[in-house]
Amino acid sequence: MAAKKKLAGLMWSLLLLTALTVQAQTRQISGKITDQKDGQPVIGATVTVKGTTISTSTEVDGTFKLSVPANATTLVITSVGYKDVEVAVSETVNVSMAQGQSALSEVVVVGYGSQIQRDLTGNIARVKAKDLENLPLPSVDAALQGKAAGVYVNSQSGKLGQAVTVRVRGNSSISASSQPLYVLDGVPVTTDDQSSYGGAMNPLIDLNPNDIESMEVLKDAAAGAIYGSRAANGVVLITTKRGKSGKTNISANFQTGFAEATRRVDFLNAQQYAELFYRSAGARDQIDGIDPADPDSWTSYADWFMDYYSFGEYSASSTKTYNWQDKAFQKGSYNQADIQLSGGNDKTKFYASMQYLDQIGTVVGNNLKRLSGRLTIDHKAYDWLNVGFTSSLSRTTTRRLPGDNAFSNPVQASAIPTITPFNDPETGLLTGTPPGDEYRALYFNPFIAIEYARYIQSGYRNFSNAYASAKILPGLNFRSEFGLDLLAQQEDGYWGSENNRNTEAPNGIGEYNTAFVFNYNTNNYFTYTKEFGKSNLEATLGMQYQKATSNYSRVEGKDFPSNSYQKIASAATISGGSTSQSQFSFLSYFARANYKYDDKYLLSLSLRRDASSRFGKNSREGYFPAASVGWILSNENFLSKVDVLSFLKLRASYGVVGNAEIGNFPQLGLFTGDAGYAGAAGQRPSQIANPDLKWETTKQFDIGLDFGFFNNRISGELDYYVKNTSGLLLNVNIPATTGFTSQVRNVGKLENKGVEFVLNTQNLTGKFKWSTNINIARNKGKVNDLDGQVIEGGVGSMNRVMEGQPVGVFYAVEYAGVDPNNGDALFYKNTDNNGQIDKTTVNASGYGQASRVVVGDPNPDYVFGITNNFSYKGFDLSVFFNGVTGNQINIYGMGRYSSANFRFEDNQTADQMNAWTTPGQKTSIPQARLYRNNGAQISSRYIVDGDFIRLRNISLGYNLPASVTRRLKLEKLRFYVSGQNLLTITNYPYWDPEVNADDFDSNIAKGNDFYTSPQPRTILFGINIGL
Amino acid sequence: MRRILYILLAVTGLTACEKKLDLSPTQSISQENALLTEGDVKVTLIGAYGGLQAEALYGGDIQVMNELIGNSENIRFTGTFAGLADIHALEITTQNSFARDTWQGAYNTINRVNNVLSALDKVTTSADERNRIEGEALFIRGSLYFELVKLFAKTWGDGDNATNPGVPLILTRTEGVTPESYAPRSSVAQVYEQIKADLTRAESLLPASNGIYAASGAAAAMLSRVALMQGDYTAARDAANRVIESGEYELTGSFGDLWFTMIDNAGANPSEYVFSMTVTQQDGSNSMNTYFGASTGQAGTGGRGDCKILPAHIDKYEANDARGDYFQALGANFFTKKHLDLKGNVLVVRLAEMYLTRAEANLRLGTSVGATPLADVNIIRDRSNLPGLGTVALADILKERNLELAFEGQGLSDAKRTRSAWSGTAWNSKFLILPIPQREMDVNDKLVQNEAYL
Repeated sequence: MAAKKKLAGLMWSLLLLTALTVQAQTRQISGKITDQKDGQPVIGATVTVKGTTISTSTEVDGTFKLSVPANATTLVITSVGYKDVEVAVSETVNVSMAQGQSALSEVVVVGYGSQIQRDLTGNIARVKAKDLENLPLPSVDAALQGKAAGVYVNSQSGKLGQAVTVRVRGNSSISASSQPLYVLDGVPVTTDDQSSYGGAMNPLIDLNPNDIESMEVLKDAAAGAIYGSRAANGVVLITTKRGKSGKTNISANFQTGFAEATRRVDFLNAQQYAELFYRSAGARDQIDGIDPADPDSWTSYADWFMDYYSFGEYSASSTKTYNWQDKAFQKGSYNQADIQLSGGNDKTKFYASMQYLDQIGTVVGNNLKRLSGRLTIDHKAYDWLNVGFTSSLSRTTTRRLPGDNAFSNPVQASAIPTITPFNDPETGLLTGTPPGDEYRALYFNPFIAIEYARYIQSGYRNFSNAYASAKILPGLNFRSEFGLDLLAQQEDGYWGSENNRNTEAPNGIGEYNTAFVFNYNTNNYFTYTKEFGKSNLEATLGMQYQKATSNYSRVEGKDFPSNSYQKIASAATISGGSTSQSQFSFLSYFARANYKYDDKYLLSLSLRRDASSRFGKNSREGYFPAASVGWILSNENFLSKVDVLSFLKLRASYGVVGNAEIGNFPQLGLFTGDAGYAGAAGQRPSQIANPDLKWETTKQFDIGLDFGFFNNRISGELDYYVKNTSGLLLNVNIPATTGFTSQVRNVGKLENKGVEFVLNTQNLTGKFKWSTNINIARNKGKVNDLDGQVIEGGVGSMNRVMEGQPVGVFYAVEYAGVDPNNGDALFYKNTDNNGQIDKTTVNASGYGQASRVVVGDPNPDYVFGITNNFSYKGFDLSVFFNGVTGNQINIYGMGRYSSANFRFEDNQTADQMNAWTTPGQKTSIPQARLYRNNGAQISSRYIVDGDFIRLRNISLGYNLPASVTRRLKLEKLRFYVSGQNLLTITNYPYWDPEVNADDFDSNIAKGNDFYTSPQPRTILFGINIGL
Repeated sequence: MRRILYILLAVTGLTACEKKLDLSPTQSISQENALLTEGDVKVTLIGAYGGLQAEALYGGDIQVMNELIGNSENIRFTGTFAGLADIHALEITTQNSFARDTWQGAYNTINRVNNVLSALDKVTTSADERNRIEGEALFIRGSLYFELVKLFAKTWGDGDNATNPGVPLILTRTEGVTPESYAPRSSVAQVYEQIKADLTRAESLLPASNGIYAASGAAAAMLSRVALMQGDYTAARDAANRVIESGEYELTGSFGDLWFTMIDNAGANPSEYVFSMTVTQQDGSNSMNTYFGASTGQAGTGGRGDCKILPAHIDKYEANDARGDYFQALGANFFTKKHLDLKGNVLVVRLAEMYLTRAEANLRLGTSVGATPLADVNIIRDRSNLPGLGTVALADILKERNLELAFEGQGLSDAKRTRSAWSGTAWNSKFLILPIPQREMDVNDKLVQNEAYL
């Protein structure tokens, strides 16, 4: 890459030199450009008269001579690796340049190559090492949150290592994956969940974020179409760090800290619980016409209930509160140690790293440990041949939590009445532990599972990559890469006999699962660069082949002698076992040409041909073209006079990309041999065929403006895009009377339109430095055609895909509050009476007559991030907020039990105390009627706003001055403290508005909360030492 | 020269073989290759049992729903499965997941059966073998249509059977989605015709003894239920009599021997079971146990403890009735002992019911085919340590049936066919009928919804 940088710089200069020859009426100036740090000459720096194409580059001794027009006032000096400098024109110009890069001259990684930011015609967001180093993030994708405009990241829950949702420019699919393609050093990596327990895990946790040099998000078709059928959801190119020639750098970093769950929910205390329970029982007796004194009355039942579930502790006058919710959370910790070495000479460079991470979660029973190492070597074998190799190995061990919808989910303990003691007074064991009464907690006590069960997932991951790059002819390069992503995972679970109520395994149950994914990839491509006159051409032609095979095995055993024996070797009954396999392959050819004229006009064309085992026989290969243009207006004479303007580029692109994440064999009509009965093997029809099945097609248009003012102190980007997706792969519902519920077809259309805005400002540049980065994106999705399908999901099947609406809107009966006369929950009928919407209301018994309407949207309107960086002398402070607005969340998961005015016996949220009691009372909580469904039906009562602004990260660091470090014989010594999620501003009533219940999560089932654990609030102390 | 060599090498690197894209799945096979041999047909028939055993069907949900629908006099339902809670409270919505799952599961299994029936010509070893396979397939299909029409349509004779909508009748296998896939509801009469045709042919084809699989007695027992439902007492009596007289089944010595098939009987059926779903350690589940069961502390027992039996029910038994003692007290609650075994086989029909059916039909017809009504009833009473009756009236037989078969999923059908109120709800209340699942209504505009859900 370094060679490429030089090449690009050279071409730049040559081009400008050519331009120079046509100028006239000049005066001669000269000068010398040096490095600010060591005073060494800067070779090949470009010196340009601002607003013109008159320029030259410096000689080996850093000097230059230039004829400038008589009226020239300002010179711009640029060089790769240095910040741009502007100086007034004078006879002698001596400038010292500071190291660092101006954004415009940075090299950006693109598909199968790299480009200078200034010359880009596509939209690529970039997150650099600095933005993800030393954050308490187990996976790199989470680092995109709030840092890249148009990239929406939702961390889903506070469970360690679990999948996060990443959406680039909206949700462009319904049934196929909507996650972007991740490409690590050229290899598309395995990112599908491989776990068989609880919510989806994130295979990217195996990658050490501190090994990452940069992540580029290819957002539009111009940037992405080179990845063809795999680019519709955007492409994230992850580039790992490599060695640089020069002094060997050794850096060690240690950080330690603690974490707590960000928020709690206000539930009833024991006194309130009993009060409302009796009230609801009394109301029920009244409705049923039973004398409360009758032993069969609900009030008598309440007496029994209070006595039974409190172990007799309950009395009307006093009773102790047991806060079951608090038991679910613990003080977590975070410890991480990193060592990195890098260095080398002109011939050989290396990078090596080790990391150990030990994280204890904020929900009881959750922890994660990762040990990872990486070695990268680049070697110049001959002048014309570079070779290199990188390999990493990691082990990630996680003690998993069950899915949100499991009784053993600790957060579900919140539902246990606060009258119930934590421990059974008769046995002293956790309430509900046999031999005590298993049913003494209203539900299975999840802390029994924490105490007497475990589920450990261990992943071993190897990412390897080797390349050879040869200069074949002047300007013609050939690069060949071979990469591997090996994932080996084992999951070991055991549930002791104490979990019987939950597992129905009175003598214990264990399971052991393995997953082995062998994913290999090769890229082979030519790159050709040529300049002629004012023209500059870069062309790429190549191929890619990828194949991935996954093998799984599972065994389950029951009846263990005791909890001392937890391996299946000791299971008296082998109660289940299976092995399975799946695979896919892609063969692709691609070509791209970038053309630049006069450093003003840019044109880029690309084409990819993809064929895959996933597509039907009748549509095996597809072509994905893209074209884009750019115009650097600031290099035009008519803008050269505008002094405040330092850079202005207009770009536009159009292209076709696809989404091939449609599962491995969706096109075939299948029978599956998993339908055995009582020990005899059986088969069943499992899938209806569709030989025409193919990828989803997205056509994307993007128009953008890149600008810089005041010597780029203010810079930014503004983009508008339209993404039209057609041939949506839908599990088209068919009548279940066929024996199938759906057939996979390419039908349906949806669109995403949006605006993205990025603004970078250097507010103060003196000793006290202050810079700000703001990014904000608005995406509006709309389903245009569904071929009449009804597609729903999520809690209560409330997420729905409907024509004319964004994907996954909440569709339910509209809640109309409470009838002040009788405490009935009311619902708007919303039926269509000849075009007139009937806004009259019905109560629970008429619920069936009420029509469902769109009552919310889980997709945010605006997603934004704001980062402020301050520095003064050795101190630096970074403050990063992010947030979303305009989205709703479905809380029916808890709400139907816990905010349901005693529909069931669960502990209720504190607001339920406001349940209606007396005629004329105005309240939004219906009368509590024990076991009666008075308002707990599916309705907009349980759809709430999910807007939030979160202080995602704040970090304060201090670099000891060089005078001190030199005495300590250190290159660098830095202390820092950082906080994650210290502040969340939201009106959300449950735990965390950044939520996606894992057991319900799908493309369309977003924004559901189901006793989902909140994000951790983490405070870290760190020290960074450079030798 | 060397460079040109490199270029050639590089270009070779760019070409790859497209054959590498022909991958096939390893756990599944294409439908063209699935039904080519006799073996294929047999494993597909097993697949149909596998489907029948699903929780949503005879794995127990069919029986559970039949018990819970509006049954507030006998059961206090305290579970959190909203679908069942709504069924119990008669606050059912069209999105009820239990109604949906049973509908989908039934038709999925019917398609498996139809696949078997489509490939009978592949069964060539013997006519007996082909008959057995066809008979079992038809038994499964007939039984499922019977359960569907009872749950999702008006009771036989509640209005005009010829115009009351039943359920869609699908009698051929699905190979693709065609206009015919959007099937309307056949009338109640048409559905009953098909059920009788399937079960009658099944009975004629099936062997008298067939292990855990359906035998001719199972088809006859199911036919007797169909006939009772239709008020065709002659047919009901004769079918029940055929089951009793076959000699294949025998009442257990004590009432308690009927249950705990896994805990006490290593998974084997008692001699009285005519048809049941076998649960093994590896396979199958018992959702009667899931909702009616609870852990008593005895190893192998468990369940969610959702269905608490009300004292009002327990009070119905006479003193010393073994069945009246067949309740487990846990805390202040009572649970039926019938479904405590976590891995108990799921009963579909047993011999005692045939005695009671024969008794009722004989009494109504004034006949004594097989035995007198009094003798049949007293056989059942005697087994539960009750003194024999001197005389018997219809009410006695119905009461005996009610107690003998309590919480086995038959009570609602008995109330409907005898035109008796069910927990205070009129037998023909529209609320005692499940909705056609909303999902089906949404995808198939040929379907009409049931009255209570319009």
